[in-house]
This record gives sequence, structure tokens and C-alpha cells, in this order.
Amino acid sequence: MFRLQGSKTLAVDLTGDAVKAKNGSMVAYDGRMTFKKMSGGGEGLRGMVTRRLTGEQMTVMEVSGQGTCYFADRASEINLVSLHGDTLYVEASNLLATDSGLRTGTTFTGLRGGASGNGLFTTTVEGTGQAAIMSDGAAVLLRVSPQYPLMVDPGAYIAHQGRLQQSFQSGVNFRTLMGEGSGEAFQIRFEGDGLVYVQPSERNTVGGDV
Amino acid sequence: MSTPVVFDPMTLPSDDNVNSYTFCVELKGSRWFLQKGKMIAYYGQIDFDGIGHGRFERLVRTSFHSPLHASDWVVAEGSGKMLLADRAFDVNSFDLDDGNLTIRSGNLLAYEPSLALKQSIVPGFVTLIGTGKFVAASNGPVVFMEPPLRVDPQALVGWADCPSPCHHYDHGYMTGVMGGIRSLTGIGGTSGEEHQFEFVGAGTVLLQSSEALMAEQATGFVPNEPGVPGGPGGGGQHGSTPRMPGQLGDLQRRFGL
Repeated sequence: MFRLQGSKTLAVDLTGDAVKAKNGSMVAYDGRMTFKKMSGGGEGLRGMVTRRLTGEQMTVMEVSGQGTCYFADRASEINLVSLHGDTLYVEASNLLATDSGLRTGTTFTGLRGGASGNGLFTTTVEGTGQAAIMSDGAAVLLRVSPQYPLMVDPGAYIAHQGRLQQSFQSGVNFRTLMGEGSGEAFQIRFEGDGLVYVQPSERNTVGGDV
Repeated sequence: MSTPVVFDPMTLPSDDNVNSYTFCVELKGSRWFLQKGKMIAYYGQIDFDGIGHGRFERLVRTSFHSPLHASDWVVAEGSGKMLLADRAFDVNSFDLDDGNLTIRSGNLLAYEPSLALKQSIVPGFVTLIGTGKFVAASNGPVVFMEPPLRVDPQALVGWADCPSPCHHYDHGYMTGVMGGIRSLTGIGGTSGEEHQFEFVGAGTVLLQSSEALMAEQATGFVPNEPGVPGGPGGGGQHGSTPRMPGQLGDLQRRFGL
């Protein structure tokens, strides 16, 4: 059972079950807890190799026991996501904790990842349960519907869920090459039906200065 | 668990804050000026253009009077809703009604072209004149104060309708050989509060509730003419930037060198 203690601390009530969390993100607990590092994010040997190859490394620990465990990471804002059989796509660095019932994996994101500096791959979380994702500043949740596609700055994107196609949109023109770029030359365009999480801050990306 | 609020183009506020870090601007065929790279997402059809020469020249002439730092600004044009944010700092919108407001250049995020942006004669600050809305970022919420008051240089965001500030130094604490040594070495204890900006007259002073400075945004050079403060050559005798305590120049002057 995930709940927020303030906006920057995640409290998880455990009754003998387990939760997967980013390695070293525990800040306090009461009750009895055991922490076990999971090599390769608990995805087996194949998952471990995939993560190593794709650069979506994630060191995960499994916390199990009885009581309440608190997680936080560098005072990032935490957002709870409920999954009901659907898939959450999130950058590995933004994933804080998942229910142990959720499966994590890696997926190819296509061209947009390469240009946005987020890597060509992203982490997927699927199944039924709760996940906690982190953002720099309170995240804004934006709905994408067929009549309203959404354009997102690659540096501000953190996660999305639902049936969304993403494509890469570029506003580069001859003025960009002349050094009169708009600073907004690249965007990820989301179409379909789903939700996108955006943080009010921009990571440094390759396209950010163009 | 409370369900988070999901926004779509209908429920996003128009020209208002989405949360304390994110501001939503609605464009209906209109234009906004924004600092490069502060857009995080948008719905609709919006074009972003750097302002140089070309089709925005008239707009730049009427509402952007600092051609020298035009390259740091972008014009957003089209229709839709756009979200602005800056490194997870607090953002707020302010309305100017036939007024003027001077703001630290790094804090200004975006403004309506009905306002005119001009370089302030205070280095590192810009002045907005006219009627319209602008969006500013601050580290922590903005506090409004009325002069007369003295403020810490790092906490100052800007000021409206009152004459420019002047420097105020804690005289007794800073003069003499002991004062020089104290400010140079810290021996004897410096409180870090020997220097303030002093505001007098009628108006409003905007302060942020932290002393973390936002990265300074270039405001361009000023013409190299005599009588122009901050100019490379013709300006003040002791350099263009205000002399901060603890600089060697202080000690030299104390010994009469």
C-alpha cells in the first residue's frame, strides 16, 4: 500500500509482502524489514544483460517485512501511479518504487530517445499495482486524446502510460543553423489515448540549446 | 491514495498557474515572448521562432527594445495552450496596468507583447513598461514589501514604480583597518549582512524567500558612451559592477594607496 507522506516521501505499509525500490532510497522504517539487493532489477539474467546493453541501468532492492517503510531520493517530488494491467513507460532514473507484483523491463523508444539525451531505451512497468515515480518539482499530468495531440520538451518528459504513439518533431530550419534557433527545436509528439507526466524543469539534453 | 489531477486542453487554466511551478499560457492567434528553453509542453499548433531579423522585426521594434540580447528570447505564436516552467522554481504571473517594473533578468520567464521590455540602467536588470501580463520565476514564493526598506542583494527579485535602489553599507562595521581585515578574512566575524540595497519612495519591492540566485540572463551590452553606467569604458570610475565588500580595492584605499 503506497501513500505519500508530504510530497517528497513515500510511505509503504507492508504486511509480509514485498516492494521493489531504488537501491539506497530508504530513509526510515518502523517494524521489521529486510533489504535485499536485486541484481539486474529482478529481471533475471536476460534482463540484467539487456539493461547493461541499453544503458537503462537500475539498481533495485527488494524490501520485505512488516511495518512501514519510508523512501525518498534527493528531495524529488513523488507521484503515485496506479496500474490496472496497462503499461507505464518511465525513465529508469525517475522510477522510485514498484509493487513487487509489477513486472519491469526495457523497451526501445525509437529516435526520440537518442535526440533527447534520455537514451534510446526506456523502462516499462506493467501489471496491476502501484508505482512511484520521481520528478524535479511537482509533475503535471496531461491527457492525450485523438483530437488533442501533445508536444513535450524532451528534457521535461518523465513518463507516460496508455496507448500512445510517440514521434519526434523538429522545428529546425535554416535560422537554427544561423544561430537564431528558438531553443525549442525538438519536441516529442504524443498521439493516441493516454497520460503523459511532465516535470517543471528541464534536464540537459542534446537538443536543449539548439 | 488520492487520484492525481489529470489536465487536458479543456481543464488547463488559461493564463494561470497549473501548480506553483508550472504556468499555462493560452494563445489564440496571439503572441508571447518567452525565454529560450522554458516551454515544457503544449497542446495545439504553436510555432517557436527565434527573434532576429525577418518577420518579427516590427514586433521587436515595438515591444522588445534590446536587440542586443534578442537571441535569448523566443516568440511563441499560434493557438493552443502552452506550459512554462523553469528548473522547478516557483513561477507566478503579475499584471502591470500602465506601470513599470524592473526585474532581475534571469527571473523573467515570459511576457505579453503589449508590454515593452527595456534594458534597465542597473546592470543585470530589465524593465517592463506598459499594460499586460508577465511571468516571473523565483526561488520560493515572492514577497511584496513597501519602501522604505533595505534588502539583501541576493533576495531581490525586482521593484515596481519606485526609484532605483542605492547601495547601503554598514559603515561602522566596514571601515577602518579592522573592518578591512574582517571583510577580507572573516576573522572577527562577518555577519554577511554588511551590504544591502536601500529602497526609498513609493512603490513595491519584490523579494524571493531564499537567497539562491537564478542564473543571470545576458541583457546585452550598453553603448560605450560617456555617462552610460555599466558601459565598458565610459561608465563609472571603479568599474561598472557595484563594489562588493571584501575586495582588495577596499583595503588599498584604506591605506591610502
